[in-house]
Amino acid sequence: MTHVLLEVNSLKKIYTTRFGGNPVQALASVSFSVEQGEYIAIMGESGSGKTTLLNIIAGFDKPTSGKVLLNGREITSMNEKEISSFRRNNIGFVFQDYNLLDTFSIQDNILLPLVLAGRPYTEVFERLKPVAEKLRISDILSKYPYEVSGGQKQRAAIARALITKPQIILADEPTGALDSRSSEELLKLFAEINNEGQTILAVTHSIKVASHAKRVLFIKDGEIFHQIYKGSMSNDEMYQKISDTLTMIATGGIRNG
Amino acid sequence: MVKFFYIKIAINNLKRNAQAYVPYILACIGAVMMFYNMCFLSNTEDIGHLSDSQTLRRILRFGAGVIGIFSIIFIFYVNSFLIKRRKKEFGLFNILGMEKRHIAMIMFFEMVIIGLICIASGILSGIILSKLMTLLLFKIVSFKVVFGFEISPSSILVTTLLFSGIFILNLIYNMFSVHLSKPIELLKASNVGEKEPKTKWLLTIIGIVCLGIGYYTALTTEKPLAAINIFFVAVILVMIGTYCLFTAGSITILKTLRKNKNYYYKPHHFIWISNMIYRMKQNAVGLANICILSTAVIVVLSTTISLYTGVEDVLKTRYPQEIIITSDNINLENVKKIDNTIMQQLRKFNIVPKNMVKYKYLELALIQDKTHFRIKKQNFFDKNTAIAFVVPLEDYNNIEKKVIKLSDNEVLLYTINANIPGNIINFNSFKLSIKKRLTSNSLTNSLTPAISCFWIIVKDIETMKKIFCSLNSNKNDMVQFSYYYGFDFNGNKDNLMDIYTALKNSLNKIVNDATIEVREMAREGFYSIYGGLLFIGLFLGLLFIMATVLIIYYKQIEEGFDDRHRYEILQKVGMTRQEIKKSIQSQVLSIFFLPLFSAIVHIAFAFKIIVKMLQVFNLTNIPLFALCTCAVILVFAIFYTGVYALTAKTYYKIVS
Repeated sequence: MTHVLLEVNSLKKIYTTRFGGNPVQALASVSFSVEQGEYIAIMGESGSGKTTLLNIIAGFDKPTSGKVLLNGREITSMNEKEISSFRRNNIGFVFQDYNLLDTFSIQDNILLPLVLAGRPYTEVFERLKPVAEKLRISDILSKYPYEVSGGQKQRAAIARALITKPQIILADEPTGALDSRSSEELLKLFAEINNEGQTILAVTHSIKVASHAKRVLFIKDGEIFHQIYKGSMSNDEMYQKISDTLTMIATGGIRNG
Repeated sequence: MVKFFYIKIAINNLKRNAQAYVPYILACIGAVMMFYNMCFLSNTEDIGHLSDSQTLRRILRFGAGVIGIFSIIFIFYVNSFLIKRRKKEFGLFNILGMEKRHIAMIMFFEMVIIGLICIASGILSGIILSKLMTLLLFKIVSFKVVFGFEISPSSILVTTLLFSGIFILNLIYNMFSVHLSKPIELLKASNVGEKEPKTKWLLTIIGIVCLGIGYYTALTTEKPLAAINIFFVAVILVMIGTYCLFTAGSITILKTLRKNKNYYYKPHHFIWISNMIYRMKQNAVGLANICILSTAVIVVLSTTISLYTGVEDVLKTRYPQEIIITSDNINLENVKKIDNTIMQQLRKFNIVPKNMVKYKYLELALIQDKTHFRIKKQNFFDKNTAIAFVVPLEDYNNIEKKVIKLSDNEVLLYTINANIPGNIINFNSFKLSIKKRLTSNSLTNSLTPAISCFWIIVKDIETMKKIFCSLNSNKNDMVQFSYYYGFDFNGNKDNLMDIYTALKNSLNKIVNDATIEVREMAREGFYSIYGGLLFIGLFLGLLFIMATVLIIYYKQIEEGFDDRHRYEILQKVGMTRQEIKKSIQSQVLSIFFLPLFSAIVHIAFAFKIIVKMLQVFNLTNIPLFALCTCAVILVFAIFYTGVYALTAKTYYKIVS
């Protein structure tokens, strides 16, 4: 029996500018759910509302209406303090531009969420070791972000996301700033982590990233437009399928097919 | 046509960077205004009415010099900060197709506009303010009011030349710094330099050593005259120490803290330490500057204010009695005559003297070697120099109204700033034993309390002669000594000048060199000197505070832009807005109040040596100086906190 980890219920977001300009609808009505251990990619063009969706799931932003439930707890109604600690303990982030702090060494960057949560340093270091080994960054731990490559930075960012043993990892264009080789490595890594049971939700407009996911949701004009399951397809077949779907969406062919 | 285009761009640039340029322009106007006023006052004709106008002019000219030099350094500092921030902008112009000479043109027009605004409005407001300043100066130095309005063309010229020079220098610096860099560097200029600073043990140790020696010498200096020389050495040592410790020491401490894992990996310490390491790297020099400026403000203001408010004390120290007559080269016969003449003249003016202090004395400039004394021959300053006053017991008993008896080789000893170990005093081969050390002494003289001084009360004139002869081996008799005659009196003090002249004339008939000093007549001169110093102190204090404010303001803007991104990330990783605000606050507070705190520590260590130096200026009222120092620190701290609150607001606006 599979367990529903994340539930997004008819999410709506309307931005109103401060001086009474035209309100802009970023999300019309988005509903979907993510099961434990899934690897989902949400695809869409720029401006389709996918970043807004991610920000609401992460609790950075509040929806105009609708609900987000993680493990049965409603994120959308928490206050700021609750959300911060909830985020620290349950959600791991991987960003396009790494978001590593230049004032910390790689090691301290990875440890940051645990330290902020007030864990004793002995426990913190115990957790660091396996994560660093898995991500093959044990040798650069004492270096600073400006001293390492983009791929290494992104791996450090993933380590930072994983170290809290989060319920779900949210990734926003994780390969956006990487070259093709580093991208390939990163995607392999995501698949590996997922195989170990980690739930991943990635937002992207790259077909390559999406083709590694087990399920792809397509978002357009603030709505979930379509979804495809990978099933037993290979990455290449999935790539082809996504590519076809995108073409059809662009030309206005299918809807919820 | 093309020129107008550049001027337009220049104006637009300044408008766009108003947040950074408005404080700069205001500060420049302030500097121009102050400089003009100082020049003006040192040249103004009104000062000619004062009794000691030359000294006052010299003090004011010195003040103008300090303001001038400080303006050069200060404007240059702020300018280099501004140009660093604007490199990106110039890089963009460069990439959009402007050649470097076009950029230079824009920079030229910008500087012309700024220069014109600053110099013109500075001089104009300076002229308007000059009347107020003259009134203030006169209020301080003489309590008189002058009328009329004066504009000094020569001061305008000097001011214009100096500040045009400064602006031209800045322009050349800016042009060079843009010219030497490549466009891509210009674009990235503000992003370089994020490397973690290294621990510099050597500099830290140098800092500790310099500061330690500086503090130590300041604390252990006992002789006031030596204090002046030592003070400057100590100041330089402390300055070096401050710079080293702010730049290297702070980072060493922070990194040592970071090595302590148990301490470092705590939510609050974690962010504080790692951010402070970078902040200190970027700000250390600026903070050290603020620290030194703050110290200077406090020292200058507290000393000048206490000197000024203590003028009455100073006068009493310098002139123990209202009228003092001293005469050298006299013999016993003359003493009687002098006494009689003075009494005669005083009777003529219906004056009844009181608190009379009169005694015969032998004044000896000596070199002390523990218990041995020899005559001082060379004129240069020796740290063992001491002045000895040898007074016969008879006069001492008269003044103190005592009946102490001494045998031939016994003396009473009273010391100021000095000591003699043991109970024997040797004047070459002549030995005297100390019967008693006095704890107080009503014998006074007009010597500054800054010098090492011995009062030696001997049995009689014969003993004085023996001392004299054994010190001067080539002479076998002392024929002459000196005479001190001081007294206060009640009654009319309007005709002091007449009394002075009458005394002078009648005494000159008896002895060749009688000196008559009247406290009342010296008052105006003291007020004009100490008042002038206070005036300069206030001026410089104001200038230093302005500089401090500006440095702090720019630091905050600079920090704000750097930190914005970092706090976004921290929020994403799971810090609440409140936690972030608290973290920012503790960092900004540490950065802000470190200089003030260090300045207060500096002052605490300098207190003793400054007290010694004030003795040279005849100010011995330590409680007064302590009070002034505390008051100045308090006012400065309040002011500083105000500036902090204002700039912190700007900072939060930028960060959130």
